[in-house]
Amino acid sequence: MSGAAILHHWTAPARKRAFLNAMAVGVPFAIMTAAIGGRIGGIATLLALLAVGLSLTTVIALRRATRHDRSWLIRSLDAQRPDMEDSAALLFADAASLGPLQALQQARLADRLDADTPDRLVSEWNRRLILTLWSGALIVTAAMLLWPRLGEGPPSLAPSAEGLPAKPGIPRLAAQNLRIIPPAYTRLPVRDSAALDARVPMGSRLEWTLRFDPDASAPRLAPLGALPVMLRRDGQHWIASRSADAAFLYRVDPAAGRGPPPPLHRIDAIPDAPPQVKAITPATSLSTVTSGQRSWSPVFAATDDYGVVASARLRTTLAIGEGENVTFSEREIGISGTGPARDRRFAPHLDFGTLGFTQGGDMVVQLIVRDNRSPGPQEVRGPSLILRWPSPKAPESSGLTGMVNTTLPAYFRSQRQIIMDAEALLKQKRRLIADRYLSRSTSIGGDQQILRGRYSQFLGGEQEGGPELPTADANTHGEGDGHDHGLPAQPAPGFGAQEDVLAEFGHPHDDSPASSLDPETRAILKQAVDEMWQSELQLKQGRPDLALPYAYRALRFIKEVQQATRIFLSRVGPELPPIDASRRMTGKRDGLASRPLALAPVEGKDGPAAAAWRALGDGPGEIGGPIALDGLERWVRSEAARLPDPLALSGALDAVRRDAGCNACRAKLRALLWTAMERPPARPARRAPADANGTRYLRAIDGGTP
Amino acid sequence: MTMETIVNAILCVAVLLASVRLILWHRASPVSGIPFRLILLLILQPVCAFLLSCSLFPSAETQSGRTLRVATAGTPRLAGAAAGAPLIILPEAGAISGGEAVPDLATALRRHTGTNSIALLGNGLPPRDLDAARTIGVRFAPPSLPAGISDLAASSVVAPGAAFQVGGQLNGLPRASVDLIDPAGRVTDTTRPDSEGRFTLTGTARAAGTTAFTLRVQQDRRTVEQADVPLIVADYTPPRLLILAGAPGPEVKYLRRWATDAGYVVNSQIGAGGGIALGDPAIAINAATLRQFDAAIVDDRSWAAARGALMAAARDGLGLILRASGPLDAATRTQWRSLGFPLSGQDALAPLALPKTDDTAIASTRHGIGSVDSPVDIASPDELLPDVSRIAMMATDGNAPLLQDAGGAPLAQWRAVGSGRIALFAGVDSYALTLTGHRALHGDWWNALLATVGRPVAGAAAIATTSWAGERMALCGLSAPATVEDAGGRRTTVLPVQGCAAYWPVASGWHQLSPKGEARPQSFYVQPADALPVMRAARDRDATQMLRASTATADGSPERESHKGWLFPLAWLVATALLWWLERARIGRRPDTQSAT
Repeated sequence: MSGAAILHHWTAPARKRAFLNAMAVGVPFAIMTAAIGGRIGGIATLLALLAVGLSLTTVIALRRATRHDRSWLIRSLDAQRPDMEDSAALLFADAASLGPLQALQQARLADRLDADTPDRLVSEWNRRLILTLWSGALIVTAAMLLWPRLGEGPPSLAPSAEGLPAKPGIPRLAAQNLRIIPPAYTRLPVRDSAALDARVPMGSRLEWTLRFDPDASAPRLAPLGALPVMLRRDGQHWIASRSADAAFLYRVDPAAGRGPPPPLHRIDAIPDAPPQVKAITPATSLSTVTSGQRSWSPVFAATDDYGVVASARLRTTLAIGEGENVTFSEREIGISGTGPARDRRFAPHLDFGTLGFTQGGDMVVQLIVRDNRSPGPQEVRGPSLILRWPSPKAPESSGLTGMVNTTLPAYFRSQRQIIMDAEALLKQKRRLIADRYLSRSTSIGGDQQILRGRYSQFLGGEQEGGPELPTADANTHGEGDGHDHGLPAQPAPGFGAQEDVLAEFGHPHDDSPASSLDPETRAILKQAVDEMWQSELQLKQGRPDLALPYAYRALRFIKEVQQATRIFLSRVGPELPPIDASRRMTGKRDGLASRPLALAPVEGKDGPAAAAWRALGDGPGEIGGPIALDGLERWVRSEAARLPDPLALSGALDAVRRDAGCNACRAKLRALLWTAMERPPARPARRAPADANGTRYLRAIDGGTP
Repeated sequence: MTMETIVNAILCVAVLLASVRLILWHRASPVSGIPFRLILLLILQPVCAFLLSCSLFPSAETQSGRTLRVATAGTPRLAGAAAGAPLIILPEAGAISGGEAVPDLATALRRHTGTNSIALLGNGLPPRDLDAARTIGVRFAPPSLPAGISDLAASSVVAPGAAFQVGGQLNGLPRASVDLIDPAGRVTDTTRPDSEGRFTLTGTARAAGTTAFTLRVQQDRRTVEQADVPLIVADYTPPRLLILAGAPGPEVKYLRRWATDAGYVVNSQIGAGGGIALGDPAIAINAATLRQFDAAIVDDRSWAAARGALMAAARDGLGLILRASGPLDAATRTQWRSLGFPLSGQDALAPLALPKTDDTAIASTRHGIGSVDSPVDIASPDELLPDVSRIAMMATDGNAPLLQDAGGAPLAQWRAVGSGRIALFAGVDSYALTLTGHRALHGDWWNALLATVGRPVAGAAAIATTSWAGERMALCGLSAPATVEDAGGRRTTVLPVQGCAAYWPVASGWHQLSPKGEARPQSFYVQPADALPVMRAARDRDATQMLRASTATADGSPERESHKGWLFPLAWLVATALLWWLERARIGRRPDTQSAT
């Protein structure tokens, strides 16, 4: 038998025993932890813990088994077999390397070896430990499975405390339990309430288990202002159930109105709050692209009372372009959040290249999340975050007057309008008679002329016939028309003032609004005007088809001008020019007349609340006053949305209705009515006139005779 | 048997024995002496004994013969055991033995005729006895007050919806917090008293009727004292308001809106220039038309034109409220300054400090429920502050301003002119308050202005004094017998003398005074007998102290009486010395005794 064969033959049983021993100790541990975890965390935790525990046990057991190697065998044989003569190591030595004496001894040992079985080297079972652990595991597992869960199984009833006097023959509530089963999506545990008043999540199922003494015949739950719910018999108990879709008041009526009225109980339904979205980074709503930035990762936090759905939508709005030429594109990206359900983080990664976000644009993102309410999840839009990528062209505020900046865009659009009009006319050409076609073309040509004139003005060009303003007051514009034409020409005192012929008879060409334009812009604008000339010419000759190419070219040039000059509207400073009193009231005032401004007062309506409050007062003449309870109750129902606590008011009303002489009930109702009244707009208290002495004093200090 | 009588008896026996001994000794004397010495000795013995007795027990009777000790509320129980003048026990003093219980001080003075001064023990005399005490000298060492509410002043009658203030003072509670609790049991304002214990709280009224707020004083989370703050909410006739504005603007627009919603009779005349007027149909501004208004709100631009008529109307009772629409021009500034308003300093607008926004829970108790037309409008602390400013020129001039901003800068001042009043409102653009959740503050400001200067209306003055059950109170302003009905429905007829009637409320709570013939009954509140004990003690103490100040100089000063006590031991010493000298002296003895020696 070779060394390897001997080793296998002699270690295999011991290895097997060591493995099984370790497994027998480890498995109950794994079962115990899995049972405990399963009780706390559910079936998934149970399986996971079981898998982890078993694999850990197996690994440990295998390690324990591999400890039984050659050196262990040599040690064991030397220790347990005297016939090995402390030379068991020779069994595994290489025969070639042995001396003659060693070889002889090896042969002798090999002969003796089989005198005993390998089972003697096997270690004992850890019987006591294994037994203890297995029984412990069984007990723990059984306990974990069988221990009653809260809210499961038959409820234990708490003694009632309604404090009603005992009357023979009339049943009284003796014991009670209210089981609250919240909606599944809230993941709240079922709970038992010993009291009949409770605050429950909206949509919860409520189950009452009641016992009466003596036993009732037809008990019922009587909600205030709703139909009563009959209780069902269940053994010696009575049960009823109802879902809490809104807050309500009710009383347990065991004797169907025969006994004294039992006190009211109140169920408050806590509505599911919509989720809250907060932007964590960036902290400000407007941030700017830093140089070299290629993507953006804003981080939002969404919190909710029960849970936020992990998938949300990110609405991205891109504003690309400048000035008037801005295009908007909107898209929604689905993103998923991380973190616990009640506090999720959403960190979308927005790549500029993918989105098409370029310089000079704005990107607005908004997170839209939903909570896990069912049915009808609540959707909430978070705050908008703006990322701005500033244009490389800084706004040129110098060299451009406000007039150019404000007027250019308006006329730019008009050129486009002329093109559209011309195209529309071309489409209708077949349906129109020639004269009409010509007249319309001419009129478009007229528009083109006005536009060209306006642009020529910026170039300081002369205008034939003087282009007219396309506004309504263009015809009447002149001196004395009631508005400002700038300061009247005042001869400046000084040398040469009298000889200022240019100012008197002409106008300098470089004084026009466009003279401050830079030469490039001027050149482009001039080209645009040239094209307009051509376009106008063709239009006036009734050939809009020929005019179109010129018009398009003009539009393109104007666009260029427009892009070269960013719109910049300077803020009007807080210093207004001083009012020139001499020019006041010099304008035309036709059609202006005094007129009354009608004003209708807001009607405050406290109505029955204030009346009842006064009637419930404890002053003389007020106590025991008649109270319009029905009207008040109707008012409370109709105005429930405005009132801070309509339910408490209804309860107090019911108490007063049942016992009109109960002073405590009246005081409580009066206190609650105080919270249900409007605060009328105050009228000032009027002061009392001075008495004789006071009048004399006032006259005296005023300089009159006393 | 008191110590005094025992000593006096011993003294009497001693005098008797001494006299018998003297006579016996004289008889036994071998020489019959001159009898005048014996007579002198016999006379001096009882005199000596009497003087000794007087020095040992200096009773008031023996001091002045006309002083009483009076036990009032808060007198220590053992006061009767101390020796001194006769003790008079007033009903408030409680169970004190060893004195004479009387129903009031006047009774005691009638019983002890000739009394010209009293020594007070305890907190002082109740109002019932003050009149009686004015006729005599009063000796009073004011005790220190216990901790509690020492003063409480509430505006007794307020308009529906108006904000009202409750002021008061605490004694000996430096770390206390004071809460005002509304009738619904919610804390509607809370504050801490200043170093002198003073505090002011604000609440808001609702519909007309009577109600009671509660004032609660807590120290270290323990309620120290609680008191009712009665409140009468009464409707007033709405004022007729004239708004004159030189130009249309948001301020006028929101003033009109506010006044119209509050139910005022509003006439607004808004000039738009060139003889064009907006608002209500134009009226002429003259004495006759202005007499139809209770108050006029006039801006600086419309002031110049209507100045004469407005001033004349103000002398006649019209309330005039001047407001600036911006920095003032020189003429207006001079004219307004000549009306008595302190306008000095820079002619510019200054920012106005708004009060800190209340806690949401407290703010919600100040507002009523909202309606569809005007929902509840509560400013939250993180909201934008409105752009309200004030003209910086208005200075403080030592008079309490009508309105102040949160920083203490004056916002409005008023002056009396004839039977009317003129106020100057320094706020500019107050309308911004209504747009930013401070609508209540806007209303409070303008209401305060109108309430202060508006034309007075005749009506019965409210009964504002704090009274306690079981204590006499005075109801004034009555011309004929009237009926008082208490909370329990008991009716009492009170008979006025010189316009005032005395009334002894039996129960606490709301009472109603119905003067015969007059349509409108008046309500007043009577505090329970045990309510506000410290305030009651402070009132008695202060009233008694004032009494003493007024009478101390008129009557004999108490200090001189106390000096008399020293005369008795001195006289006794003199008498004893004389006696001793007579016994030893040779005067009156026979000359033969000289020969014997």
